[in-house]
Amino acid sequence: MFRKRDSSGELAIFFATDLHGSNVCFKKFVNAGRFYGAGVLILGGDVTGKMMVPIARQEDGSYLTSFAGKELKLDSDDDAAALETRVSDMGFYPKRMSEDEFQELRDDPEGQEAVFHELIRERLEEWIEYARPRLVEQGVKCFAAPGNDDAFFIDDLLADSGAIELLEGRVVEVDGIEMLTTGWSNETPWKTERETSEVELRAMIVEMIERLERPENAIFNIHVPPHATALDQCPKLDEDLRPVSSGGNPVMTSAGSTAVRELIETHQPLLGLHGHIHEGRGIARIDRTVCVNPGSNYSEGVLNGSLIKLRQGEVRDVHLTQG
Amino acid sequence: MATPAAERVFLRKASGLIKSASNTDVLIYDLGLVSIGLGLGFLLFYGPAAYLGGNLYVGTLIAGGAMLLVGFGMLAWTITIPRSGGIYNFGTRSMWPPLAFTLSFVEVTAWLFYGSFGAVYLAQLGIAPSVTAIGIITDKPGIESFGTDLAGKWGTFLIASGALIIGAIILASGMRRFFFTQKVMFTIAVAGTLVFIGSLLFTSRADFVSNWNSVMGDRLNVGDDAYNGVIDAASKGGWSDPGFDWKQTLYLSNWAFLPLIGAAFSISIGGEIKQVGRGQTLGIIGAIVASVVVWILSIALVFRTMGSDFLGAVTYSSLNGVEGASTPVTPFPTLLTGLGTSSVALTILIALGFIGWIWLWVPTQILYPTRAIVAWSLDRVAPDKLGTVSERTHTPIPAIVLCLAGAITFVGMLAFTSFFQLVIFIEVAVLAWGLVLLAGVFFPYRRPDIYGKSPLANMRIAGLPIMSVACALGAAAAFFYFFNLFFDDFAAGHARHSMSVLIGWFVGAFCIYWIMWFIRRRQGVNVNLAFKEIPIE
Repeated sequence: MFRKRDSSGELAIFFATDLHGSNVCFKKFVNAGRFYGAGVLILGGDVTGKMMVPIARQEDGSYLTSFAGKELKLDSDDDAAALETRVSDMGFYPKRMSEDEFQELRDDPEGQEAVFHELIRERLEEWIEYARPRLVEQGVKCFAAPGNDDAFFIDDLLADSGAIELLEGRVVEVDGIEMLTTGWSNETPWKTERETSEVELRAMIVEMIERLERPENAIFNIHVPPHATALDQCPKLDEDLRPVSSGGNPVMTSAGSTAVRELIETHQPLLGLHGHIHEGRGIARIDRTVCVNPGSNYSEGVLNGSLIKLRQGEVRDVHLTQG
Repeated sequence: MATPAAERVFLRKASGLIKSASNTDVLIYDLGLVSIGLGLGFLLFYGPAAYLGGNLYVGTLIAGGAMLLVGFGMLAWTITIPRSGGIYNFGTRSMWPPLAFTLSFVEVTAWLFYGSFGAVYLAQLGIAPSVTAIGIITDKPGIESFGTDLAGKWGTFLIASGALIIGAIILASGMRRFFFTQKVMFTIAVAGTLVFIGSLLFTSRADFVSNWNSVMGDRLNVGDDAYNGVIDAASKGGWSDPGFDWKQTLYLSNWAFLPLIGAAFSISIGGEIKQVGRGQTLGIIGAIVASVVVWILSIALVFRTMGSDFLGAVTYSSLNGVEGASTPVTPFPTLLTGLGTSSVALTILIALGFIGWIWLWVPTQILYPTRAIVAWSLDRVAPDKLGTVSERTHTPIPAIVLCLAGAITFVGMLAFTSFFQLVIFIEVAVLAWGLVLLAGVFFPYRRPDIYGKSPLANMRIAGLPIMSVACALGAAAAFFYFFNLFFDDFAAGHARHSMSVLIGWFVGAFCIYWIMWFIRRRQGVNVNLAFKEIPIE
C-alpha cells in the first residue's frame, strides 16, 4: 500500500517528536513524507500541548488574555481569531470564555483538567482529519506513539484514527525491520502521566525485546533517551523545579534512562529513536547503535526532525532537519 | 494545574525545557566578552599614540551609541529566534543557505582570530608589562629584562599558545568548569579594575610625576625631569596635539567598537536563557553601558593623574620608537599605573585584573566557533566528526581541537609576521553582522509565520515592525563601522593584501559550502533539506 524502499533498496524514515500540540508542526510532519522523500513517518511522544490560553470576553465586547507573559487586550473577534491561530501554531490551546468562567476556572483544577481534555481531543481529531487524505495521497505509512506528558485517553484516539498507527507497547514491522515502542519514561521532577521507576521501565522494554526475532536488527523507539549521552543533558532541578546551581553555575545532569542505556548496550539494536529532552538535539553512538534525538522547537513553529536512511541492515545516514 | 502569577493561562502537569542562564549570567557573559580591561588598554594606548587629534571621550561615546544600535538589532533577532548558535541560526532562517553559511564561517573565524589576538595581548599587554614594571620598581634588572623578553616573538608565541591550550582544555573538560573559571577570572578582573581606579584616584599628578621621574629618569636618559623629558622627546619625534579632529576621533572609536561587539555575544546562547527578552536586554545593553561608563571614568582618571600630553607622548614614542621616550615594553595602563604608584603589590593586583579581563576573551572566543561548527556538522555542511560530543565531558572535543589548531596558527602569524593588520578580521565580522541585521529588516515580512510568534510581533514603531526598525538601525551602525575600519589604515584599512585576505575568506567559505554540498550529494544526502521549510499543503 505505501511507498517504502526506493529503487536502490533504501528505506527513508522521517522521525519527529515532542510536537506538544503545535498545529503548524503537525501539518509539516504530515507533509514531510513527500518533502523529504520518506516512505515512513514516525511521530515520537509528547504529542499534546501544555498550556491553555483563556481568551476572556469582557463586558465592553473586548477580550483579555495573555501572550508572551504579558496581559493582552483584544478589541475585536477578528483579533481574537488571529490570536487563536497564532497560539495554536505554538502548541497552546486557546479557549474563548466569559471573564466569569475564567475566574471560576482559575480556582478549579478539576475543571481545568476537563477543559484541557476537551481541547486536546478536539485538536487531535482535527489533526487526524487533516492527516488522513494527505497520507493516503502520498502513499506514506505513519506511526505515532504517546510520550510521558500525554494523557492515556489519546491512545484510543490515535488507535481508532484509521490514518495513524498507534505504536505504544507494540512490536511492529517496518518493511522487514522490527520496531518496539514506548512513550513511558523514567521518573521526572514533574510527576507526569507516563513515568515509572527504572526497574519497571526496564521490565516493560524487556517484555517487548523478548518479542523481537532479531533485536540486533531492530529499532528501539523509546521516548526517553539513553542515560549519559549527548541526547539527555539538561539542567538539574531541585524539588521546587528550580535549576540547581553550584559556584553560581547551573549543574547539568543526565536525565536519560539507565535502563534504556543498559538495554541498548546489551542488545545493540540498529537504531534508537528518542525525544523527551528538547535541548538534546543530536546523534550519539552506543557501540554500533545509532541513537537520534531531533530535539524540539515546536513553539517557534519549526519542525525538528531526522531523516534516517536504512539499507541492508545498516543505518546509512542520519540527517537532522529543521523544517 | 496551575496559573502562573500575573498570567491568564493554565498549565498542565508536563515536563519542560529548562533554561539555565540567569539574567546575571548573561550580563557576566557579555561583560567578559567586552573585556573592559582590554578595551581600556586599546583606547589608552592606540588612541593617543596613533590618532593625533582624536578625542577619547567622544570616540568612546560614538562607539557606545553605535553598538547600542547593533545591540538593539541583535536583541530583536535573539528574542524572535531564541536559540543558541548566533548568526548562523538567524541567517539560515532568513537568507540563502550558502550565504548564511559563508557569513557564519567568516564570523566565527574572525572571532577565533580575536581569541588569538587576546592571547597575544595577554603576553604583550598583560604579563610582560607587569613583570617589567615589577622589575623597574624593585630595581631588579633581571626581572625587567625577563619582562622585556616575554614581550618578544617567542615569549609572545609561547605564552599565547599556552593560554589557548589551557583555555581549550578547560572547555573540553566541561561547561561547568568553563563557567566556574570564567566567574573566578571575572571576579579577579573586577577587583583589579577597582584597584586600578582606586590607585588612579589616590595618586596625584605630583605623586605620579615624582614616582615616574624616580624610576624612569636613569633608564630614559632624559634628565631628572623624565616626565617632561618624555613629552619633549616625543614632540621632537613628531608627536603633537593638533586639537580636536573629527576624522581621527571616528577612526579612534574603532578601538572602542571592537571590544564592545562582545556585548552582543549572548546571541550565541539564546536558547539557554531563562527570560530571553529581559536577560538579553540586561546582558547586551547593560554590558555596553557599563563598559562605556568604566572607560570614560578610567580615561578621566588617567588624564587627571598622568596628564593627556604625557600619555600621548609616551604611547606615541613607544609605537614609533622615539629615542629617549620609549618604555622597555608597551606602556599599557598596567605598566604606567604600576610605575606611577611605585608599589609592587598594587602593580601585581592591577596586572592581575587586566590579565583577568584579557583571559575572559580567550576560551570564549574558542567556545563561540565550536558551537557554530557543531551546528554546521549537524546540518551536514561540515564533516560529521566535528559534531561529535564526548560522552564523558559532553563537549565537542574534535571541534575544540580544530579551533585550537586554528587559533595557534593565528598566534604564530601575529607573533612572527606583520601580515595581518591589527584588526583586519573585524572588518569581515562586522560586515557579516551588518548583512544579518539587514536581513532582519525584511524578516517580519518574509517570514511572518515565525515573526508572528515573537513577543515583538505586536510592537510597532511608526507603523513598522519593531524588528525592522531595530535591525535597520543596527545594520546602519554596522555598515558605518565597516567603512570606518575600511578607511582606518592603522587598525584595518584596505591594503591590497588585506582585501585579498577578506575577499579570499568569503570566497573560501562559499567554496567550502559547495564542496561539502557536492560531497554530501555523492553520499546521497541533500544538504539543502536541513534548511528548507516544509510546505504545508
